[in-house]
Amino acid sequence: MGHDLILALREVSARYPAAPRDALAGVSLAVRNGEFVAVIGPNGSGKTTLLRVALGLLPPAAGTVEILGRPAGAWARRELARVVGVVAQREDNLFPQRVRETVLLGRYPHLSLWGAERPEDHAAVARALERCDAAALADRWIWTLSGGEYQRVRLARALAQEPRLLVLDEPTASLDVRHEMELFELVRGLVNRHALAAIMITHHVNLAARFADRVLLLDAGRAAAHGPAVEVLTRETVERVFAWPVAIEPFQGAPQMIPLRRPQP
Amino acid sequence: MRRWAHRTHLAGRLLAAVALLGGCGRAADRRAPRPAGTVTVTDDAGRVVSLAGPARRVVSLAPSSTELLFALGAGAQVVGRTTWCKYPAAARAVPVVGDGLSPNIEAVAATRPDLVVLYRSPLNETAAAQFARIGIAAVLVKQDRLEDIARAARLLGTLTGHGAAADSVAERMGAALRATETTPGRAVRLAFLVWDNPPMVIGAGSYLDQLAALAGGVNVFHDLPAASATVSLETIATRDPDVIAFLEDSATSSAPAYATRREWQTVRAVRERHFLALPADLFGRPSPRAAEAVAELRRLLQRGSGKWR
Amino acid sequence: MALRWLALAGLALAALGLAVVLGPAHVSLADLWTSEIVRNLRVPRALLGFVVGGSLAVAGAGLQALVRNPLADPFLLGLSGGAGLGAVGAIALHVGGPWALPLAAFAGALAAMALVFRLGLVGGAELDPRVLLLSGVAVGAFAGAVTTAIVSLSEAAQLRNAFLWLWGGLSGASWDTLLVLCIYVPVPLLVLFAAARPLDLLALGEEPARYLGADVTHVKRRVYLAASLLTAAAVAVSGVIGFVGLMVPHLCRGVWGHQHRLLLPASFLGGGVLLVLADTAARVAVAPHELPVGIVTALIGVPLFAVLLRRWATT
Repeated sequence: MGHDLILALREVSARYPAAPRDALAGVSLAVRNGEFVAVIGPNGSGKTTLLRVALGLLPPAAGTVEILGRPAGAWARRELARVVGVVAQREDNLFPQRVRETVLLGRYPHLSLWGAERPEDHAAVARALERCDAAALADRWIWTLSGGEYQRVRLARALAQEPRLLVLDEPTASLDVRHEMELFELVRGLVNRHALAAIMITHHVNLAARFADRVLLLDAGRAAAHGPAVEVLTRETVERVFAWPVAIEPFQGAPQMIPLRRPQP
Repeated sequence: MRRWAHRTHLAGRLLAAVALLGGCGRAADRRAPRPAGTVTVTDDAGRVVSLAGPARRVVSLAPSSTELLFALGAGAQVVGRTTWCKYPAAARAVPVVGDGLSPNIEAVAATRPDLVVLYRSPLNETAAAQFARIGIAAVLVKQDRLEDIARAARLLGTLTGHGAAADSVAERMGAALRATETTPGRAVRLAFLVWDNPPMVIGAGSYLDQLAALAGGVNVFHDLPAASATVSLETIATRDPDVIAFLEDSATSSAPAYATRREWQTVRAVRERHFLALPADLFGRPSPRAAEAVAELRRLLQRGSGKWR
Repeated sequence: MALRWLALAGLALAALGLAVVLGPAHVSLADLWTSEIVRNLRVPRALLGFVVGGSLAVAGAGLQALVRNPLADPFLLGLSGGAGLGAVGAIALHVGGPWALPLAAFAGALAAMALVFRLGLVGGAELDPRVLLLSGVAVGAFAGAVTTAIVSLSEAAQLRNAFLWLWGGLSGASWDTLLVLCIYVPVPLLVLFAAARPLDLLALGEEPARYLGADVTHVKRRVYLAASLLTAAAVAVSGVIGFVGLMVPHLCRGVWGHQHRLLLPASFLGGGVLLVLADTAARVAVAPHELPVGIVTALIGVPLFAVLLRRWATT
């Protein structure tokens, strides 16, 4: 498979209704399949807004957003869900379910209005669970899962959509180091083995640097830096954007950010 | 300091003396013979009501009491009525002080009455206590069945100084209750329908049931002890009354709205349009004109009910 | 799996059978086919009860998914208040005709529905569940207050009896009423059934549902309107019958799970069964008196609810 352009944002600006200033200003981003892009930045820098604009939920005030060559706004929601699988930041599952059932929800974009689930749907669910190393959890009730297990299940649901682009919004927010590493490894593996494209919004700068192909650093709605981690994570840039003194140390070829303590009086 | 203590001590003794005298006074009231002209009755809620003399300004908060007062000749003494008190015609000249459901204490008090007549209900017992607190005598009267009229007449007659008229009303009511004319042929079976959805019928507890019996008819729901009850439509259909009676406010000659509804056609009386519209001012409540009501009902039953379109 | 459906269908037939055979008027089995009471009163009443109960249950299930609240009930959205106001208004204005009350109640319910819908859109809120619930309570309370004011100020003695109608009952059931309902009900019912999958997605939250391909805005509007239309029709025909819309979806979830593709049809059948059984009990329990059916559904529903709560609390 070639390196198709899955998502292309060009000079995008966006503003929420009744907001005093732009949430995004002149941001560009291109993601091809086989690429893992990390989006990092301080709180309020526009990371989730970028996600919403990219998925057609918020129309851009300026610039264009294209998915597989078509404007994001032109995609019907079901159609888009067959191409982009999202693991949102928050999910509040109201009704108790088994893992298999909740992953099956990911097949919705492929089902007809009245049709029942077909064997290929169940096969897709099984495949997704396996790829996320969650096959053993298939019959468990979701409330019995740990945080890390639940995240893997949500990722499996997104995979069940059989998307070409995976989008994850701070998926490791409340996970411990082991589950965090497992999730990053999982995403990296999916991108490598199955030529998916992946965008991950994350606070974990260091892991982003080690796992992602490219990093987009946002600062108050603008792209402060964009490119391979070693180019983006320089001391000047990081200190300016995050407003905190850091030291940058290389580790296995990736720059790692170490926040410094303020000098004590 | 000492002077203050002395003052409070004195005030305390004064207070005690007043309380003692007051208590003595009330006790004295109960024991002493009443001055001439005092009117005392026990109303239908068991309360003792006492007036210095026959009531001159009466507010009546129940249509049945208003009618009774006028029938006793006390109409001139009535200074307030409810919007529902429309009989006799002379009553309409009396100012309205409320709708009677929950008495408007202030509006009633504004007419400066010396007696308020209320229909006996738990809500009105509270209202009567409120009237008593502001010094207005209140009497609770029960007028649910025909036999209540005589007692109510005597009660109100005593309170308004029309004892003689009350006696004659009571006698007329007694005669009406005792009157039994044998009706030729089979007794007409009827059902009184108060409401259609859900069907509500009148039972043995109501004066209408009494009127029907006196008029030579039979209430098919006489076996229900309550004044009114909700029953199934199929029960009405099975009991098959000859005629369905209902109270009508205005003198209309149209069948009730439900007469054309499909489910009501299972009732023979509806299917054959055997309805009886009873004027509300005569049949709406037990009144001194009960004898008239019985006679009218007998006439209607014997004539055979009119056929409605 | 199929066994559950067979059992429910069997239960439905049994309930309908009981409703036709039992009643305050004694009709022997031999006369069952020819009895006019059975043909013109009991059969349409049983069928009407089934359709009304089913409609309320499906509307309840849809609304519970829409407002993401398992305690939602079709009457939480102000429809009963609107219906009562409509009915009382019709009587106070002396509107005649055998269909005056049901039509006026229906119009009142629709007005309440439109008002709550409009309130749910205020300030750009897209039918936010909390806004819907609050608006529903407010509209219902307002309508109730106006109704009470009309009743206490008006002179018509009939008005107080109108409240009896509002308490709920299938006394007005006839083949005509059944026909009208059977023409009307399928459309909103189908709309709700078609929304089964998006409702499953909505249980995850509005944003995840969007990402999974659901057109959340339109689904919410359609579900709200369809559920309200079903409820308005139920109120117009049989007054306010509580607990069916709240309880039956929960009872069915215990057996069929949360997938709305199964839950909605099961709720329809379950609601029908519950209301028909309740109505039979209402007619027969204290014959010749007839209890308001809303009381019987509460008497049955509350203990069932308590059992459910215990199970829910212990899991």
